[in-house]
Amino acid sequence: MKKRILATFMAIVLGISLTACGGTNAQKGTDDGTSKESAEKQDTEGKSNSQGEQKLIVWAWDKNFNVYAMNKAAEIYSKNHEGITVDVQDIMPGDIETKITTALAAGDTSTLPDIFLLQDVTFPKMLENYTNVFTDLSGSGIDFSQFAGAKVSNSVMDGKNYGVPFDNGAVVNFLRTDYLEKAGFTAADFTDITWSDWLAKAKVVKEKTGLPMLMSQAGSPNIIYFMMQSCGASFFDKNGNVNIANNDILKQCIDIYLQMIKDKTLVEVASWDELIGGINNGTAASVIQGCWMMATITSQADQSGKWAFANMPKLQGVEGATNYANSGGATWVVAGVGKQKELAIDFLKETFAGSTELYDDLITAGTGAVGTWSPAKESAVYNQASDFFGGEAVNAKILEYASKIPTVINTPYDGDAQSAVGVAVSNIVQQGADIESELKSAEDTVKFNMGN
Amino acid sequence: MQNNKKGLTLSRKHNLIGWGFLLPATLLIVFMSFYPGIQGFLLSLQVGHGMQLTFGGLKNYVRILKDPVFKEVFFNTFFYLIIQVPIMLVLALILASMLNNKHLRCKAIFRTAIFLPCATSLVSYSMIFRSLFTTDGLVNNIIRSFGMPSVNWFGNEWTARGVIIIALIWRWTGYNMVFYLAGLQNIEYSVYEAAKIDGASPAQSLFRITIPLLKPTILLTAIMSTNGTLQLFDESVNLTSGGPGRATMTLSHYIYNTSFTNNPNFGYSAAMSFVIMVIVAILAFVQMKVGDKR
Repeated sequence: MKKRILATFMAIVLGISLTACGGTNAQKGTDDGTSKESAEKQDTEGKSNSQGEQKLIVWAWDKNFNVYAMNKAAEIYSKNHEGITVDVQDIMPGDIETKITTALAAGDTSTLPDIFLLQDVTFPKMLENYTNVFTDLSGSGIDFSQFAGAKVSNSVMDGKNYGVPFDNGAVVNFLRTDYLEKAGFTAADFTDITWSDWLAKAKVVKEKTGLPMLMSQAGSPNIIYFMMQSCGASFFDKNGNVNIANNDILKQCIDIYLQMIKDKTLVEVASWDELIGGINNGTAASVIQGCWMMATITSQADQSGKWAFANMPKLQGVEGATNYANSGGATWVVAGVGKQKELAIDFLKETFAGSTELYDDLITAGTGAVGTWSPAKESAVYNQASDFFGGEAVNAKILEYASKIPTVINTPYDGDAQSAVGVAVSNIVQQGADIESELKSAEDTVKFNMGN
Repeated sequence: MQNNKKGLTLSRKHNLIGWGFLLPATLLIVFMSFYPGIQGFLLSLQVGHGMQLTFGGLKNYVRILKDPVFKEVFFNTFFYLIIQVPIMLVLALILASMLNNKHLRCKAIFRTAIFLPCATSLVSYSMIFRSLFTTDGLVNNIIRSFGMPSVNWFGNEWTARGVIIIALIWRWTGYNMVFYLAGLQNIEYSVYEAAKIDGASPAQSLFRITIPLLKPTILLTAIMSTNGTLQLFDESVNLTSGGPGRATMTLSHYIYNTSFTNNPNFGYSAAMSFVIMVIVAILAFVQMKVGDKR
């Protein structure tokens, strides 16, 4: 009898643990953090019956940023429209892309949402390969001229708009004013300068404080991509052909990067976590990254007042060079296979493309989500001074930077090109390889990927 | 023997019952493994990006031969196989023989401690190893405390590969050790006693008694390790991100990039996956020919 009880007990325990850990044997490669928390937004009017109730399903990531923004938008929209619920599901960006790819490959689109957020870097690739999952918004009444031009261009194909731009990724040069002071500089000394100016000043900072100006993740040289974009250059030419091996602008960027490493004013770290750790611990005097880095920087409350804003340096001798570039950012897409396209379009039009209240709330709630919608910058909230950044109206500045970013050519092969150039730079910097031959093999790799 | 009765003879009934028990599992395997496998092969015959696929015959396989990146990652994967698997299996064997000692106390604690690494999550342990080997990580701190200069583990291709090999050995030795322990239980202690009486040293008893008697188990672990190492993915993605450059990128990581990071080329990825399968099959066949006399 005892044995039987023990046996049944063990069987139950094993059964429970099997079902519980069934998920850990999930596909390799997909993020461990694929959590589907539906944040049901209740109808603010209090009408809880499902008569005429419509539901929009939205996929987005980052609970404190995009998901929050979408929930807020739903709240604002339902004030004027009764019976609409928005169900926001928190899914990582890579997983969203994989899910869409898989659903379309399987021919089963019933699992897809009504609206989803898509990273700008993968937008051209997804748009060209899976056009039927996007909706043409050109005639929808959304005024795209109110958004920053460079941002809108990410979601345009053949002259048609396929997305509602969302968060701003304008590149900002965040400076530690306390370190700069020790070297005898102010933030103004680093605004609107050229890279050769930067190189000279960075050496002084290194001398006087012993700190490098910048940190970069090895193998993923964002700074080079920013430099390229700041003069409107791309890894592809107008006809979509690869332009890496003979790209003089790229060579100039790599030369500057190498010079910084030689001067020890740029330190390479192995991973993103190290980079964030370095920023928070103050192991570099500045950070050049998208404005969304603000959330990380402001997380260190004791550094308040020690940071300042500036734009990035520009390349000299290059026509069309500016002090502005873009890093990241995402765009809302109305799913072309969704069943409530009109509702979704109307919803986005009124909120993300038409509500100052929404953008104001995103700032005051401290999400750090700065939009690219220019009417928002008229509001008082956007012009508030930030104590953390020495009293500057940072949000208005970010919006201003965004409007000056040059538009670059986007192709579906941007991912291939970026990895190939990343490998080339890594070999040049870490293994001392020859620049010409590395760029040639990077171009060959991309050409190979493009060919069949 | 005449079959006078209506219906089935006893042996046929037994056969049918046996097949009846096997049928559900067989059907599941056919639908979950073989059918997708065939679909995958058909996909590998398609050429094109994204959803615009057209039939291309063996074009993808020919393309593999022309792909310089494929050659790079193939070398990396084989490097891990050739260096890591033998070291790990030998270490597992030694540990198993040590733990099989009748007079050893607290065997359970040692066994659990050595086995525990393979129960950890692949992503978690990769990230922890990554932080251990950073420039200011624990390993470099220890090295510095001995007065030697710190090593840039992830900046040099060979040290980066070394980190992956160390991580793999840490993780999988325990797993293989448990197999060997189980196999060692089948060897009677009296054989070792007899050898000791005849004056055999521990090394001699290991080579002349343990290994020959453990051959089936060694064969099993060798085939499983080969299979697992050739399909290495999580360490390449989470530990080193394939870096520096592509020095530590594995075949599976490259396949993933081809499908999801780059402009998707699913036919090509399927073709590469099939090539891995063929290589694993060939290696398994070779190992069985060498190791199994049956």
